Amino acid sequence: MKEKQETSFENHNARQKSEETRDVLTLGSSKATAVHPYLLLKSITMKNIIRSIVLLILLSTTSCEDVIDVPVQTAPTRLVVEASLDWEKGTAGNEQTIQLRNSTAFFDTSSNTAVTGASVKVTNDTSGAEFVFADQNNGTYLTSNFVPILGQSYTLEIIYNGETYNATETLNAVPEITDIFQDVEDGFDDEILEAHIVFTDPPEEGNYYFFKFQKLGELLPDFEVGDDEFVNGNEVDWWYEIEEADDENDVRQPFAAGDVLAIEMYAISEGYNNYISILIDQIGGVGLFEATPVSVKGNCFNLTNPENFAHGYFRLTEVNKMSYTFE
Amino acid sequence: MILKKNFKKALAICSWLFFLLLSSTALAQSYTLNGTITDKSNGETLFGASVFLKGTTIGVITNEYGFYSITAPEGNYTLTISYLGYSEISQEVALTANQKLDFEIAAVSTQLEEVVVTAEEPERAILKKPEMSTVKLNIATVKQMPVVLGEVDILKSLQMLPGVTNNGEGTGGFHVRGGAQDQNLVLLDEAIIYNTSHMFGFFSVFNADAIKDVKLYKGGIPARFGGRVSSVLDVRQKDGNNKKFALTGGLGIISSRLTAEAPLFNDKGSFLIAGRRSYADLILKAAGEKNSASFYDLNLKTNYALNANNKLFLSGYFGRDNFDIGGSFGASYGNSSGNLRWNHIFNERLFSNLSVIVSKYDYKLDLSVAQFDWLSSINNYNLKYDLKYYFSDKFKLDFGASGIYYDFDPGQIRPTSETSAVNPLKLDRKKAFESGVYLSAEHKLTSKLTAQYGLRYSAFSRLGGQALTDYANNQPVVYNPILGIYERGTAVGETNYEKGKAIETFGNFEPRIALAYELNAVSSIKAGFSRAAQYIHLLSNTSSATPLDVWTPSGKFVQPQLSNQYALGYFRNFSEKVYSLEVEAYYKTTDNRIDYIDGSDLIGQNTIETEILNGESRAYGLEFLLRKNEGKLTGWVAYTLSKSEQRTPGGAAGGLGINNGNWYNTPYDRTHDISISGAYRLNDKLSFGANLVFQTGRPVTYPNGQYEYEGISVASYADRNSDRLPAYHRLDLSLNYKPNRKPNSRLKGEWVLGIYNAYSRKNAASISFGQNVETGANEATRTAIFGIVPSLTYNFKF
Repeated sequence: MKEKQETSFENHNARQKSEETRDVLTLGSSKATAVHPYLLLKSITMKNIIRSIVLLILLSTTSCEDVIDVPVQTAPTRLVVEASLDWEKGTAGNEQTIQLRNSTAFFDTSSNTAVTGASVKVTNDTSGAEFVFADQNNGTYLTSNFVPILGQSYTLEIIYNGETYNATETLNAVPEITDIFQDVEDGFDDEILEAHIVFTDPPEEGNYYFFKFQKLGELLPDFEVGDDEFVNGNEVDWWYEIEEADDENDVRQPFAAGDVLAIEMYAISEGYNNYISILIDQIGGVGLFEATPVSVKGNCFNLTNPENFAHGYFRLTEVNKMSYTFE
Repeated sequence: MILKKNFKKALAICSWLFFLLLSSTALAQSYTLNGTITDKSNGETLFGASVFLKGTTIGVITNEYGFYSITAPEGNYTLTISYLGYSEISQEVALTANQKLDFEIAAVSTQLEEVVVTAEEPERAILKKPEMSTVKLNIATVKQMPVVLGEVDILKSLQMLPGVTNNGEGTGGFHVRGGAQDQNLVLLDEAIIYNTSHMFGFFSVFNADAIKDVKLYKGGIPARFGGRVSSVLDVRQKDGNNKKFALTGGLGIISSRLTAEAPLFNDKGSFLIAGRRSYADLILKAAGEKNSASFYDLNLKTNYALNANNKLFLSGYFGRDNFDIGGSFGASYGNSSGNLRWNHIFNERLFSNLSVIVSKYDYKLDLSVAQFDWLSSINNYNLKYDLKYYFSDKFKLDFGASGIYYDFDPGQIRPTSETSAVNPLKLDRKKAFESGVYLSAEHKLTSKLTAQYGLRYSAFSRLGGQALTDYANNQPVVYNPILGIYERGTAVGETNYEKGKAIETFGNFEPRIALAYELNAVSSIKAGFSRAAQYIHLLSNTSSATPLDVWTPSGKFVQPQLSNQYALGYFRNFSEKVYSLEVEAYYKTTDNRIDYIDGSDLIGQNTIETEILNGESRAYGLEFLLRKNEGKLTGWVAYTLSKSEQRTPGGAAGGLGINNGNWYNTPYDRTHDISISGAYRLNDKLSFGANLVFQTGRPVTYPNGQYEYEGISVASYADRNSDRLPAYHRLDLSLNYKPNRKPNSRLKGEWVLGIYNAYSRKNAASISFGQNVETGANEATRTAIFGIVPSLTYNFKF
């Protein structure tokens, strides 16, 4: 058991070796790669323990999850700013979009949330260059002359309903992805396929990453964040898998040959990391042993009426986008 | 320095009090009777037995070690000893000199579990003693109640009483009068138990076969206890049968237990060893399941009487939970404790006990999936000396001192293979010393009015030998007015604190007072005030505390919690004590109750101060308890109407604070809590039990809106704890069957059939909000832990 665990983390070096040599691999023969330990700790501990207990209980009883009707409170409508100026590696990055919407009641499915008639612009804080985003009258605001500069700070200004919202953010560089492959032995389940992406964290500390994974055919993407606090400057092997369903309500299937996975890896700021981390923790709901949910506040400050803050975030990133087809 | 000064001051006050009391009580021509009361069948000492001189008002209740001391004027008396379900015995005594008289009393019932239909004296309303807000549960009563998964559970039984709740199914611990889980001092043979449950609350750590008695102090905590602001749960293990070898056990679906006890050293001593283990993991493994969960615990106790005035006790507890998730992840946690005690009787009026106690709670996570493990522990070493002086019939004095040394290891990461890229990491170990001295008197002021008053002085030092982070403007947490959120402060350096010097020292006087006034032969009113300090805190930002939460000491950034509790009660017995009624009202405030900033991160956090804000809490309520103590049908109806809330202003961090500085519900606020428990004894073979529980739903935080972001629907959440889960209710049933057996057979057995949640109510343990992965529509998903749970257990005694 022990040997198996050790070898299963040899990752892609080991994967090229034969079954026979795998069990006698000496320690230290492979590259040092890792995922963020705290991320793992946070994401797997309680949920998995609970799952195991639920299994135990199922043996003698009927624990269950079901969808029910619950009355919830309804907060006043707020402006939602999705100002994600993402510069895809290898492109000019001139074309950028900002989405403005309204928040709605939690179970509302019918409202038109598009916000029109706002004035939206982004300013380069050093040169003063202004990029005006044109209202498309459907909640979308576009520009085609944005000039992305790595390490540059920009300010977003939105004027809507007589109130001015402001946000400032810096564009961070993303390291290149050096390898992308598939394996079965890593992950929480060492019998199912996972995708691996390998990159080298820059030598300076304080790098934050946001990953977006979407399996073709699935409706919702999965988000993950990571930082270099304990793996600074190391080569990092980040894996993603979809675990087997535990019950009939879970319709997600693990990866199989032919599946296509869209991968996006963003270099984000510390502030956005703090924001998106809370948001990710709360996606899909908050269970018994997870932190009490909180209202997440982004960086768009209402200068006119601070109480009336906006949801969403003004983020600037450099991003790697790719897709992987499982064999 | 401050510690020393405060300590001296406390000593001065205590000795002044002592002499004042001493001088105020006159000494007549009196003699003293003393001795120990034990069970005839197994030699167990009996706590709470009443020893009375018939025809007088002179009497006493035996202490935790079965010891009594009675002082009365010279004369001839009839001494009467009575105790729950034991035959009352009387003896003529000519009191012409000090005498030592030990008594053995026999249980009325020869049933397997001494199922006593008559409730024990302490379960009735006790009118004379000022003690209030306490619950003493007889193990026999606990064993009659329906259980979940076939294991008798002391904690679940306590939750059937007013003022005691839990945080829903699937959570450990308990809450007393709107207090938090970490505000309960849980003692097993005087050793601190940090985690009271196995399997996240499905089982308690107390094996009922090894436990002698249980006492819960919800308020009016005696001065001899300190360190927690909400309650004290004092659980004592059996000493072991010193008459004959005995084997007790039970076979259940999920777990089994076995207890062996026997005399030692020519009956001068005895031992008890009790083990319990779940075996669901073995079944799971056999069924090909890769994940497993299991627990075990082991209770050990031995005692040896050196002579009539000196007795030694050694006890131990070891419990552990183990989880294994498909070989890629494992967790294991548990308490262990050991205690050596020396009972010494100085003379017929002065009883003493010295205890040396070690206790530990630790957990280990083995994340083989990422090649590292994670360890955390809390250790404490405790020396304690308690004395009781039976000065006269009217005046008894408790006094003593204790010292606890704490060693907190909040966490360390160790790579588990050389290929692991995870760097080893150790969070700072924290060390602290807590001490206390106390003096407390039980004083019969008039024939109707009795008072219990005392003072405890506690001191706490967070010890140096480490560096602490300094923050800009001395603000570990800073309000960001632009973003409207609390953020971690900026570290500007470190201050190194030398080993052997205190980083911070606190001292608190904790007065405790209680009065009982007998209105007439059947009713009394009582009032009490108590102040308590708590120096260690459990960090938990989840809706329910988990076994992986970490304790932290008070220090530079975390202040000690201080509580004041006021209580008023009315107690009455009806119909020849068949019924009793207890009504109590309480109001409790706690200063320095911390709460967590939005987005707080406690896992692997070395600087806890950057995640918390200091606040306060308050709780108030009204408790009713109506019991039927005798007859074929026994049981009780309990109702609690209460409120528990907290407030966390921004303070030095700036801003209004959590929830804009307004009061908000604590997660354990319950407006209504009704518990009905009954047992019906049809005949010697068959008895039935039932529990009915209704509680207002637990405060939770629900979404109050949604918005589209990053291609998904994101929920925005309402104010902290401003919503509630649906009401919780449940009915449990049990049937106890004792088959016919040959009259002289040593083996006695019984079957216990239990049904938990008989009408299969889907009580929400949590409700989570998210998008349906297929339709994308928002939905609310309820998790209910238990549906209907039948269980079957066979208990035996040999």
